[in-house]
Amino acid sequence: MEIDAPTDRRVVDLLREDLLLTGTKESCGAGDCGACTILVDGETRLSCLMLAAQLEGRDILTIEGLSRDGALHPVQNAFVEHGAVQCGFCTPGMALASVDLLNRNPDPTREEIRDALAGNLCRCTGYQKIVDSVEIAAVALRSKAGS
Amino acid sequence: MTEIFLPRSLEGLWDIQDGYPEAAVYAGGTDLLVRLRSGLEKPSCLVCLERIEALKGVHESAQEIVIGAATTHSQILESPVIKQHFPILTKGVSVLGSPPIRHMGTIGGNIVTASPAGDSLPPLYVLEAEVEIRLKNSSRRAALADFILGPGEVDLKGGEILTKILLKRSPRWTIHHYEKVGRRKAQACAVASMAALLQVSQTGRIERARLAWGSVGPTVVISREVEEKLVGQPMSLEIFKSVSDVVKKAVSPIDDIRAGAEYRRTVAAALVQRLAEYGPWP
Amino acid sequence: MKDQDQLAEYTSARSAPPVRNRPLAIGVAVVRSDAHEKVTGQTKYAADYYSRNMLWAGVKRAGVPHARLQGIETDRAAQVPGVVRILTHKDISGPNRQGVIRKDQPVLVDDKVRHCGDAVALVIAETKTSLRNALDLIALDLAPLPAVTNAEQALEKDSPLVHEDNAEGNVLLKGDLKIGAGQEAEKECDVVLEACFETPRQEHAYLETEAGWACVDEDGKLSIVCSTQTPFRDRMELAEALGLDSSRIRIIAPYLGGAFGGKDGVTVQSLLALAAMNSGGRPVKMWWDREESFLSGTKRHCARMYYRLGAKSDGSLHLLEVRLYLDTGPYDHLGGVVLALALEHAGGPYRIPNAVLKGWAVYTNNPIGGAFRGFGVPQVTAAMEQMIDMLAAKLEMDPLEIRLKNAVKRGAKNCVGKTLVSSTGAVECLETLSKHQLWKGREAWKSAAGQFKHRGVGIASVMQASGYGPVVPDVANAKIELTTAGRIRVYCGVVDMGQGNAGTNLQIAGSILGQDSCNMELILPDTDLTLPSGSASASRCTYTFANALIGAAEILKERILQRSADMLMARGAEELALVPGGVRRLTDGRELSLEFLAQFLNDSERVVTYRFRAPIAPDHVTLDEGLRLHGMPHTLFSYGAHLAWIEIDELTGQVDVKRYLAVSDCGKVINPETYEQQIHGGIAHGLGLALSEDFEAVDGKIMTPDLMTYIIPTASDLPKIDSVPVEIYEPTGPFGLKGVGEIATNGPLPAIANAVADALGIRVFRFPLTPERILEALKNKRQET
Repeated sequence: MEIDAPTDRRVVDLLREDLLLTGTKESCGAGDCGACTILVDGETRLSCLMLAAQLEGRDILTIEGLSRDGALHPVQNAFVEHGAVQCGFCTPGMALASVDLLNRNPDPTREEIRDALAGNLCRCTGYQKIVDSVEIAAVALRSKAGS
Repeated sequence: MTEIFLPRSLEGLWDIQDGYPEAAVYAGGTDLLVRLRSGLEKPSCLVCLERIEALKGVHESAQEIVIGAATTHSQILESPVIKQHFPILTKGVSVLGSPPIRHMGTIGGNIVTASPAGDSLPPLYVLEAEVEIRLKNSSRRAALADFILGPGEVDLKGGEILTKILLKRSPRWTIHHYEKVGRRKAQACAVASMAALLQVSQTGRIERARLAWGSVGPTVVISREVEEKLVGQPMSLEIFKSVSDVVKKAVSPIDDIRAGAEYRRTVAAALVQRLAEYGPWP
Repeated sequence: MKDQDQLAEYTSARSAPPVRNRPLAIGVAVVRSDAHEKVTGQTKYAADYYSRNMLWAGVKRAGVPHARLQGIETDRAAQVPGVVRILTHKDISGPNRQGVIRKDQPVLVDDKVRHCGDAVALVIAETKTSLRNALDLIALDLAPLPAVTNAEQALEKDSPLVHEDNAEGNVLLKGDLKIGAGQEAEKECDVVLEACFETPRQEHAYLETEAGWACVDEDGKLSIVCSTQTPFRDRMELAEALGLDSSRIRIIAPYLGGAFGGKDGVTVQSLLALAAMNSGGRPVKMWWDREESFLSGTKRHCARMYYRLGAKSDGSLHLLEVRLYLDTGPYDHLGGVVLALALEHAGGPYRIPNAVLKGWAVYTNNPIGGAFRGFGVPQVTAAMEQMIDMLAAKLEMDPLEIRLKNAVKRGAKNCVGKTLVSSTGAVECLETLSKHQLWKGREAWKSAAGQFKHRGVGIASVMQASGYGPVVPDVANAKIELTTAGRIRVYCGVVDMGQGNAGTNLQIAGSILGQDSCNMELILPDTDLTLPSGSASASRCTYTFANALIGAAEILKERILQRSADMLMARGAEELALVPGGVRRLTDGRELSLEFLAQFLNDSERVVTYRFRAPIAPDHVTLDEGLRLHGMPHTLFSYGAHLAWIEIDELTGQVDVKRYLAVSDCGKVINPETYEQQIHGGIAHGLGLALSEDFEAVDGKIMTPDLMTYIIPTASDLPKIDSVPVEIYEPTGPFGLKGVGEIATNGPLPAIANAVADALGIRVFRFPLTPERILEALKNKRQET
């Protein structure tokens, strides 16, 4: 995709205001909360601390792109089925952080899951059902990979 | 609009600097872009170093391991070379920020920001790291401890770029220890931290020691007096307690929103006792 | 597309088409209907509303805690390219005062600045950048006044006044209750303990900060999309403040990105209205960034609480004396309601025959104290539950035994003398806790602490009232429709701020009408389309609205069946049943689809509305009309018993919560998943407040302006939480349910403090229990011995 944007436009603004992809959220603008998390070349980055110029040639995935043809990614599916979503504002960033984790570590312990999600603040859930969901998604992904 | 440059090589960087000598340089952006947002700095243009391959990666030579300044923290965490030779650096970086911050932030950025609480710094100090600084036509090396001058202040003159961090291969240490104390377990600014490298004999006697404390002074604190008092002594809680007063005199913490100076002083000394958890000996 | 069309698109009968069809039944963990759209990023929160031709509005804030406004210089700001208008109080034609109970807060300051976050000027601009540049160039001419920054000092005779026109000085509301013999009962006590407790200000820190979008159409109708817990009340409040006709105002509340009380009332609404009325017909957006949200939004009241507890030597509680000082900041913002609820809960779920309960909600120039999950109860519970443990220690009684001995039961009177007529599970919760492995295995666990670690276990018995008390009606109006497409549409009256009540509404209506999830749809709160149903607060969201919804759904069911019976010439509705998508005559299996049936119902027949008002307490526990208006007493209470396993590091003072148990009596559980979500979330807020959250203000200025300095828990900080429901049927509740939204927040402060005392033999009376305070207390203890 080709976009024309001022080089100093924050990526979070480019996504939300120029491309109307409001799935990526802003909650602090300073890198403290993780709500603006996107995947850049497969790893999580904070779009509130990236400028448009840095997107050149990169592969970007926002939450809108995580499901394929209406089919949810196993992380999204687990979040839905296991109560990981309350207000949902942290959810896009949390889901992408979970995807990044499982790409690196397909069989994480609960402590490893918590540490991997520590950059994504949630004020509603107390995190437990999110951790449960990531555990379940890990199993689903491993059995998919196995079959 | 602020112009943003994304050079692909050091030559490209020098060209930009020739044209825009007042350009502010960043790699990951996790410090500079936050400062821009608060209006603490208003540069006319920015140069991002993240595409310059020459500034990235972990390379081995006969004498030393070289880390490119624009190497991200997560790249350091994933480096088997660092894990093998300098596990204390791996530990320090593993508690820095949060996962996305580690994907973006760089070791060079952590050094140049020179926060008294920077998590890579106490490990780099005990590893006696050196840094390479370059201009277009010259380069120099400096000890990290000399390069960092004060909180937020480093010995970089106009146009100079931090390019490398150099770590000498040294004889094996027995204990590679880093502890960070924060107000919460993750994504926290250290309130006090301690890095320690100890070489311990088979019978549990300390043969060499290097310690460094973070967040308890304007820069990382080293105390040769503490190290000398530990050398030759057994690995025991009593010994680690015995240097408590020396540690308290060596550090100069401040009061801030996260903690008071007295707490930091107390904890800086107490953290040495944690070394008693290593063992048993023999 | 016109902006109003865009608005219509945003708000039309909206639920993302359900991907998976789920049966709907009561008591089942039905997957929330909003989960799919949230996990795919489709949900539009108020912060996500953008439109072409849109302007940005922003506020110049005072920056000083107390000052007389002498002038506002806007000329330089007006020159910034892209600035459309700059507005001040001079542009407001109404009274310029808003508030829920007492209207004491200006939309834009006209006389005095009363806190650093006071709004002084409003800028409307083309871009965020021009907005920011303009705000920087507005100069305020302020003559500083001495700031009132301490609640107790604010009550002294010579204290400066926050509101000179307040006859009560700096008192917003005070309460003074005497129960039984009052202070006279002290001579009958065998032991009397006293202590002073302090709890900090807490920031809601919802992920979606305050946001809204507004537009005035050609007919002069104002539409606002806002992240708010109170769309209907907001409409009245802002109309009154700005001198507008509330019937010409529409407020829409989409899913909120968290609220917890911080959006209970006006935040951006009046400012947006003002902006939209002065933007030349263009839509306007306002979205507070994190620092502005911290600066301007409300906080949990910080409290100073003096407690004196007297008991007999057998452990029975005999006298409670309490003095509560709540720092309510400069504006009402429900501060009186918080005080009244705190007083009502000051004695906890215990029988205490004699009490003297005094409290003050005090005006200061500190950040505004307002609604926050728990509403004064976490504060007093933090104190009372520690007093109970201290008493247990003094009498050498087991902390669980002393609580059981004194616990209220149905028919007993609580500490304000209210007879408990609804389900009362205090004892059952404690007994369930006593049988749990985390209680039974506690000594073995504690003895296994490693080097430098000290382990402790603490408990707390909690309660939380729901509803608004005896004066303010707790009413909901449900509306349900059989659409022409044969679907069941629920018009949700109470805002879904993340607690999942929208989905629960579908679950309830669907189960009554025999429909699966794919045949259900909902409309979120919209003052044009849904019916007034009260605030999303006070643990009454599902209790009150669901009772109304059940009424409406039953009527609609009857109507559908009766019309079907007439059409099918059946004997009556008893021969028919609603099945997914239709009505079936049970005798021969003949079915009519709901879509078909809908054609045979007049539009007026397809819609049912039903009103429910929650019961109120007739008990006259106080004749104080102020306290009664502010909620005293309530009649319905939820209960709980909490337990914390903690480990303290003696080198750093850090407290690590290893396990947490909450046993809760919130009536029957309609959806076990959403129930547990509330328990987990409430505990998370409580643990943050107990250990790391302290919204500090010094001389009225905020010391923790952002998420780097204000420490909320990350995933690495919170423990495994076990939640055990004790399902006592509440006859007045929908399917036996009681409120669950707030109660869990009350346990962590005292449970952790009691665990610290258990681990180290020290008690810290000031929250949060920071490592620094722990080490300080340890040091003091060592020096004493």
